[in-house]
Amino acid sequence: MNNSRIRATIALLVAGFAFGFSSLGAASHDEPKQALESTIEELIDVLHANEETLSFEAKRDQIVAILNKDFSFDIIIQRALGRNWNKLDDAQKEQVTLLITDLVLKAYIKELKDGPRPKVRYSKPKTLSSSKIEIPSKVELNGTEVNLSYRLANLKDRGWQVYDVLVEGVSMVSNYRKQFDEHFQKKTAVDLIELLKEKLTDSKS
Amino acid sequence: MKRSIQFALFSLAWALIQNASLAQDFIDVDDLMEIDELLDDDITSNAEIADPLEGLNRSIFGFNNYVYNNVFSPFTKAYVKAVPQPARKGVDNFFDNLEYPVRLASNVLQFKFQRATDETARFLVNSTAGVAGFMDVAKTDFNLEVPEEDIGQAFGAWGIDHGFYVIIPFIGPSSLRDFVGRFGANVIDPISEPSSHIDDSQDRFALQAVDTVNDLPEIIDLYESITESAIDPYTAVRDGYAQFRARQVSE
Repeated sequence: MNNSRIRATIALLVAGFAFGFSSLGAASHDEPKQALESTIEELIDVLHANEETLSFEAKRDQIVAILNKDFSFDIIIQRALGRNWNKLDDAQKEQVTLLITDLVLKAYIKELKDGPRPKVRYSKPKTLSSSKIEIPSKVELNGTEVNLSYRLANLKDRGWQVYDVLVEGVSMVSNYRKQFDEHFQKKTAVDLIELLKEKLTDSKS
Repeated sequence: MKRSIQFALFSLAWALIQNASLAQDFIDVDDLMEIDELLDDDITSNAEIADPLEGLNRSIFGFNNYVYNNVFSPFTKAYVKAVPQPARKGVDNFFDNLEYPVRLASNVLQFKFQRATDETARFLVNSTAGVAGFMDVAKTDFNLEVPEEDIGQAFGAWGIDHGFYVIIPFIGPSSLRDFVGRFGANVIDPISEPSSHIDDSQDRFALQAVDTVNDLPEIIDLYESITESAIDPYTAVRDGYAQFRARQVSE
C-alpha cells in the first residue's frame, strides 16, 4: 500500500470523526428527554407508593432529591419572584423558597395520592431556541387527560434543566409571578412569609 | 492526497466551529440578565386581562369558592363513588358529541376548514360506531383528535379582546367576550333553547344538569390543587384563565 492511500484513509477517518462529533452536538434532544422521563417515573413511584406511614416531610425530601437532578428550583423560584426577588434578604430568600416548595408539593401530593397510577405519554421535544426546548407530555389521571409541558434550558455547568412547567398551556412560573407582583404592590416580604406559614398550617388540618 | 488532507482539515475546523457555537448556547446561571431572558418565551405567559370589576369579582369568587368546597366537592365525591369512571367518561363523550354543532360553527367562523371536516368525521364516526357518542371511537380507533374550538375563541381569532374579566356565580371565570360567545353557543346547542330538540323543559334541564355534574370531578380536583397551592387564589385563577384562553386562541 502506498503512502498516499494511507494518508487518504487517515484523512477520511479524521473527517468522519469530525463530522460525527459535530453532529453529536446537534442531537435531537433525546438525552434530556430520557433523563426527564426517568425522573418523572421515579417521582410517580414515590407519589404513588401511598405509604401512610411516611410523614409529609420525609416524602417531600425524597421528591426534592429526585427532582433536583433535572429541575433547577433556585432558578424557578427566582424567576417566579422576578423583580421582587431583591426585596428579600438572604434569610428571607431561603425561607420563601422552602415554604413555597412545601405549599406546592403538599397540594399535589394530596391530589396524586389516590386512584390508579398516572400514565404519561411524551411527545418529541420542540426547539424553542438554540439553548431552550419544550418537552410536551400527556398525563392520564383518574380518566382525565392533562397536558403537561416541561421547558428546559441548557445551563452552563448544569446541563439541561427544567425552568418552567406548563399545565394546559398555563406557565406556572408566570402564574406565580403575577401573584407575587400583586402581593408586593401592597405588602412586604414579612407579610409573605406570614401568609405562607398560615396557608401551610391551614392545609394540614 | 493533498486534497484529502485538506478535506480532513476543513471538516475538523468545521466541527470545531460548530461546537464552539454550540458552547455559546449555554445560559450562564450567575448572569441574572440571562435568566431574565428565559422569561419572555411566548405571548401566552404574558397574557393580560383587564379586571375593572375586581371588587365584585372577588366577592363572587369567594361565594363560588364556598359553594365548591361545601356543596360541589362533597357531592362530587359521592358522585364519583356512585358512578364508576368508565361510565362517567361515556357520559362525558355523549355530551361532547352533542356539542358538535358549536365546534363546527366555531371552526367555520375562523376559516379552519380542515378542522371543521375533521370534526364532522369525528361526529359521524362517534355517533354511529361510537354508539350515539358514548364511546370516542374516533380517538381510540382512528387516532382522530381535534383541538376544541368555541365561539369565544373565534371572537379572539378575529382580534376581539376579552373586554374585561368576569366571574359568573356557580360557573366561574369568563370574560365579556367569552360570555357572549357562550350565549352564541347556546343558540346552536341542540339541548338548550332556542334550537333545542327536546320539547319538555324539565327533560332539557335534567340533561343540562347531568352534563354539568359529570364534568365536576375533573374540575374540582384541579381547582382544589390550584387554590391550595396559590398565594392568592383569585389572581392565580384569573391569570390561569387569561393564559389558557390566549393559548387556545393562538392554536
